[in-house]
Formats: sequence, C-alpha cells, structure tokens
Amino acid sequence: MSLALPRPATRRLSLRIPRPGLALAGIVLGLAAAAVLWPSAFAGDPLAADPLRVLEGPSAAHWFGTDQLGRDVLDRVVHGARHSLSIGVAATLIAVGAGLLLGLLAGLTHRFADEALSRTFDALSAFPLVLLALLFIAIAGTGTTSLIVAIGIATTPHYARVVRAQTLVVRRAPYVTHAVAFGASRTRLVLRHVLPNVLGPIPVLAMIGLGEAILIAAGLSFLGLGPQPPSPEWGAMLSEGRGYLHIAWWASVLPGCAVTATVISLTVIGRHLQNRFEGRIQ
Amino acid sequence: MRRIRPAAAVIALTLILTTAACSSGSSGSTAGAEAGQPVSGGSLTWAVETEPITFNPHQYAQAKARLLVWNTFEALLTHDSRGGHLPWLSTGHEVSADGKIYTFKLRTDVSFSDGTKFDAAAVKANVDQFLVEGYNPTVLAVQLRNLDRVEVVDPATVAFHLKQPDVLLLDFLSSPQGAQVSPKSLKEAKNLKAGGPELAGTGPFILDRYTAGQEVHFTRNPAYNWAPANAGHTGPAYLDEITYRFLKESSVRVGALTSGQVQVIEGVPATDEALITANRQLSLQRGLNSGSAYSYYLNTAHAPFDDLRVRQAFREAVDVEAVLTGVYRGSATRAWSVIGPTSPFYDSTLEKTYSGDTAKANRLLDEAGWTARDAEGFRTKDGKRLTVRLVQSAPFVRDRRDVLAQAVQAAVKQSAGIDLNVALVDQGTATKALADGEYEVFDNSRADTDAGAALNLLLHSGGAINRTGLKDPALDKLLEEGQASGDQAKRLAAYQQVQKLVITDQALILPLYAPADQVASATTVGGLSFEPTAGVPGSAYNVWLSK
Repeated sequence: MSLALPRPATRRLSLRIPRPGLALAGIVLGLAAAAVLWPSAFAGDPLAADPLRVLEGPSAAHWFGTDQLGRDVLDRVVHGARHSLSIGVAATLIAVGAGLLLGLLAGLTHRFADEALSRTFDALSAFPLVLLALLFIAIAGTGTTSLIVAIGIATTPHYARVVRAQTLVVRRAPYVTHAVAFGASRTRLVLRHVLPNVLGPIPVLAMIGLGEAILIAAGLSFLGLGPQPPSPEWGAMLSEGRGYLHIAWWASVLPGCAVTATVISLTVIGRHLQNRFEGRIQ
Repeated sequence: MRRIRPAAAVIALTLILTTAACSSGSSGSTAGAEAGQPVSGGSLTWAVETEPITFNPHQYAQAKARLLVWNTFEALLTHDSRGGHLPWLSTGHEVSADGKIYTFKLRTDVSFSDGTKFDAAAVKANVDQFLVEGYNPTVLAVQLRNLDRVEVVDPATVAFHLKQPDVLLLDFLSSPQGAQVSPKSLKEAKNLKAGGPELAGTGPFILDRYTAGQEVHFTRNPAYNWAPANAGHTGPAYLDEITYRFLKESSVRVGALTSGQVQVIEGVPATDEALITANRQLSLQRGLNSGSAYSYYLNTAHAPFDDLRVRQAFREAVDVEAVLTGVYRGSATRAWSVIGPTSPFYDSTLEKTYSGDTAKANRLLDEAGWTARDAEGFRTKDGKRLTVRLVQSAPFVRDRRDVLAQAVQAAVKQSAGIDLNVALVDQGTATKALADGEYEVFDNSRADTDAGAALNLLLHSGGAINRTGLKDPALDKLLEEGQASGDQAKRLAAYQQVQKLVITDQALILPLYAPADQVASATTVGGLSFEPTAGVPGSAYNVWLSK
C-alpha cells in the first residue's frame, strides 16, 4: 500500500461513499455501542421470566422469541452486549497495557532481558489463545473478572511483539539519539520520545484484536467459564439455548448471530483502517 | 499485521455443526419388536445421562446409576410391584418374634463371575466391609444403624442380629448397597471404592471395560441361571453384549437415538418427548420413581432461614405449578410432600396447603424485617441483601434441574425480591460448601425404595445428609418409630406426622416434583421395563433385539 505514487482522485471519492459492507459494519457497531451504553432504552428487563410463555417463536411481542424460562431473547441480546463487549474491551485494554510495558521493556533493555522476554512471547504465542485463557481460569477460578484477566494475559504477547519491534526501530531514530545527546533523562526519553512513536499501529491492532477477544470471551462463556446464569451474556445464552436448538432455534442462533455480526464488523472496520493507515504510520 | 483471523468463521462453523448434529433425520430398522418374541444375541448401545461416580454397588449414590448396578450385581432380596420383598439370592427369610434376628436361607447354585462360590461367608464378608472405617458411613449410620453382627449359621444360612428391631434392614438387603460383591475382589481390588472390571458379581452381565467419560461395556454372563421369580424369564440374559454411552447433553442423546447411533436412551427431556412420540420408529416409556420428591431443603442453621417466616415466604414466592409447566411442559408430576406420591407413606392431605401466594410471601417478609429494597429490587435488612445460595453438584444434576433452579430464581426475585444465588459446581466444591455450611438451600431427591430410609438420612438430627440443621427430638422419635415397626399402619401414622411437621409446621422443605424416568428406544428393542417399586429403568436382563 505504501506506494510512492500520488493517490488517484477516485480513491478519495470512494472513501466518502463507503462500501456497503463497511456501512453495514458501521451500523452494527453503532447499534452494539448504543446497546452497551444505554441498554434499557432499547430493551426491557433481561431477567424477567414468564414460565407460561417459554420457547415461543419470534412474534410482534417478542421479536427474537423467548427462551427456556420465558425471557425475551431480544432483551437479553441487547443487555448481553454490555457483558460481552465490556469483557472484550477490558481484556483488550489489559493486553494493550501489558503489551506496551513488556514490549518497551524488551526493546529498550539490554540483550539478555530482550532475549528472555522475546522467547517468552514466542513460547506463549505457540499456544492457542483459548488454551492459555483456560489455563488461567483453571488456576484463578471462573467468573467475569478472571475471564477478563485470562483473555488479557493470553493476548498480551501479540501486542508485546509488535511494540518491541517498533521500539527497536524508534530507539535508533535520529530524534532519539539526539535527545540522548542532549542529556534527556531516561524517563523523559521513554515517555516523551519513544512511547508516542511506538503507539502508532496499536489502535488498529487493538480494533482487530477486540473482535478476537470478544469471540474468545463468548467461547469461554459458552463453556460456562464466564458470567454465571442468569447473566445475559451472548456465549452463555448460546450455551443455554443449545439444548433446545431443534425446537427453538431462536434462543441460541440469534445470540450467536449477535456475536458473529459484532466480530465480523470489528474485523471489517479494523481491516479497513489498517489498509488506510498502513504505510503512513511508522 | 497481515495475520488472518478466523474470527467469525469459528463461531459460524460451530453453529452450523450443532445444527447439523441435532437435526439429522430419523433412520433405523423398520422391524418392530412389540409383536415379536424375545430372541437371544445381538449387541445393544444405550445412551445414559449420568456417568456413575463409582461402579462399586456398596458406594452407590446416584439413582441414575441403578440400572448399571443390577447388570453385574444382585442382592439377597428384590422388590415386587407393591413395595414388598421377593427372594433373589436367598430362598426365604424368617424374623424372630422380637424382631431382632433375621435369618436368611441362601441359594446354593450361585457363583460369582470370578468363580468364587456365593455362600453365607460371602454375605458376611460384604456386610463386614461396611464396618471398615470410612467405607460408607452413610449406610452404616442409617440402614445398618441397628446391626449388631452377622452370623454364618451354615454355608446356606446367614443370620443378621440387630440391637433393636429395624425394618430398614430389608430395604438395605434389597438395595444396590446391599448387593453382593465377590469376597475375593473385596480383598484384592486395587481401587475398591471406585469399582469397575475388577469387582466380580453374580449378575447376568459382566462389566469388562470402562472408559471414563465415554462408555462402559458389559458382556453376558453365560453361567447365569438364578433370576428372581418376577424377572420375566430364566437362564442367561438375551443380549450378548451391551454398551452404555455417557451422553450428558439431552439433545445429543435424542440426536443419537433418532440417527440410529444408539438404540435406547434414558432421560428424555420434556421438550423432546413430542419428537420421540411423533416418530413411528421410536417408542417412549415413563416411570415415576419411589423415594423422596425432588425438593429444596432450607438451612435453618443461620440467617435468613433461621426465621420461620422467611422460610414460609420463600415457599409462597414460588408458583411451583407455573415453574414446572414452563420447564417441563406439563410432563412433571408436582410434589407436595417430601415423600413421593407413589410411596405408601405419602400424605395426600398436604396437597394444596401452601405455595404460590405472592401477597402472603411479601407480607411475611415485611413482618420479618426485610422491608428495604436495593437498586436491583432485592429485599434488604440492615443493609444486607436477602440472598440465599443453592449449590448444585454437577454429577447429580438431571432432568434439567439447573434450568429449574433458574426458573425458581426468577420466580422468587420477581414475586418477593429474594436473591436466589445458584452455582453449578463439581462434586468436590459442592461437598466443601455443604460441609462448611456455605449454603441456604440444598436440593435433593432420593430413589430409596423405602421412603423411610430417605427420611432418616435427610431429617433425623443425626442423618448423614441432614442439611436443614434442624435438630428436633420429637421428629427423631417419629422417625425411629417408623424405622422400628414392622406394622405398616403404625409406620404410616408415624411418617404422616413427620410430613406434617416438616412441611406444614416448620416449612422446612419446598417440594418440587416427583422424579420420573423416561426411556426412549427404537422399536427393534424389546423387554425394556422399569424396576418394580423403585420405578427406575431396570437392568438389561430382559432386553432383547429383534433381528
């Protein structure tokens, strides 16, 4: 993408009228964000059970039908957004934070520490993310907090490696060597000169990583390792509804669609941003 | 940066696979077994809901594992269809005039599958095994509480000497715990408590292979020729071999049956019953279990259930009828007492005396001081939320009891602002929570053939699973009366008083439903039945496959 030629004018035009896929992804994410910030504006009580109206199909009263306890599936999907997305966001924040710290440490300290940290990242990257997260949950126990921390830790090496690579480039940049020559303190050097220039690719990376974090969170919740019933969480809803799949597909398929749509949207938008900015960010 | 993320693909694929697995159409043979005569031979695969935590019958604790026990092991007595006893490995028994000595004449033609002869010494070895410390304290404390000693009179005669009259001895001798294990394996088994292929029994099948988490395999015992009179036929079993596969998920079991991977399943959820009955290749049978009803026992040892009004309120807050209709689609039988409705000791006058009165629940809670409400709508007192905890042990969860718990959770929240906290955990965690008193609600049902055994365990102040914390001498006395008397009328009177006391006076228990078993099978399978009195699926002795 980083061509030296000037961009043709049509390219700019196509950005103003986004592709339909991109627009759709934007709408999905907009809805998801609204559901996270203000769920009660769109949906009723996700825990209100009605034992006399269980497993009813989609209707005018219940757009997404009802689940095995007679709860409105749409209400639960909307409220579930907060659980599922906030777990993903929190886990990604942890991963980015830890990744930055460890990546800087590896990139800036002497050879031995760098080797040790890098090989650790490599070793951890060799494990599937879900396995790492499971390992942590096995030690720390189930629950929302440990789920967040587990996914955060499991995805840290990914960010740390990128930060380390960036740091190695930045530390040899002229402005850093000049700052050293001017006698800047080590803290100032890191915070003022290295860190801001390392941050570049992180937002885009985090955007795509967020989708992955949400997916792992839903997967682990599906296994019963996340928020406990009756919390409306997408993965947990999928899991609870799967026993009724052949008589009430809506109770599990629709929460599943919510996960799928969100993750695809995040990936589409993340990819788009990546394509736009790649080459401009160093 | 260029890594491709299979993000969405994974979950989409999962969805597709689950859909495919569950919607596969029905197939299977067209031959019907209903009209045919039993034939020998063939191998059957049967999917069961619960994997036994042990294969040692003495350690038996899961009603769902009962059908496996009787394949390999047998007891001195068996049940007829009306709660009485029939000889099995015995030929008859006599009770002394004072009710303290039970003398059994044993069959002389029986041997264990490891070649050991079955005789009075074997019976003594089995009972003596219970005296080993820590082997099975529950049985020792209830069924064998009054046992003094076992005497080998001659190889074919054994006498049980009791400290005081106790009719539960007969229940023990007809229960899986009273099943006879080869004395040789009792001595030599490396892992006696877990059981498995190294324990030999006298039953019509021999357990020869067990793969944890997957299946257990039995082959026919060709020497078997000592079936009880009500077994349906004599001689060896019909099937050459039988495999029980452990399929925990009900939808997977139903799918395995409709796709012909297995011929029999047990534990058919109410929501799937229509699917089975609509299919002409399949048939469905139901049996109500004996013993105690599936109930919530309220822990009176600490707040908030130390207050009778809160216990009553909890019970009134649940519209059991509506909850059962929702979860079981009307196929569950509601329980009104701690004893199941099929038991001869059931007190039907308790029906419709409580439950479902929301206004009363709220009034009682107000009176008890739980007046304030927090942000989530739960009642509070002195800043503490009205929270009660139910800890469910996963190996004992059947019939979607976890979903039922969530329905009750929603009901008590909506109608009275009670926070029922449900945790589904492994057995170790559950045992610890119960031992530490970290619970307010305990859920249980027992499939004892004599309900008295269940009541002793659950309600007696010394009962091994007395989780209510209630220690009432009057209650203990009634339970002891029920255990000591051989007179059915006296027992009935005692147990009716017990039920009045714990259900009406103390509001100690919220009975939910009478456990039932459902067995669905391909029509090529014949001879499936429920065990008389116990009401659980019987052993595979009579089962046959049409060719």
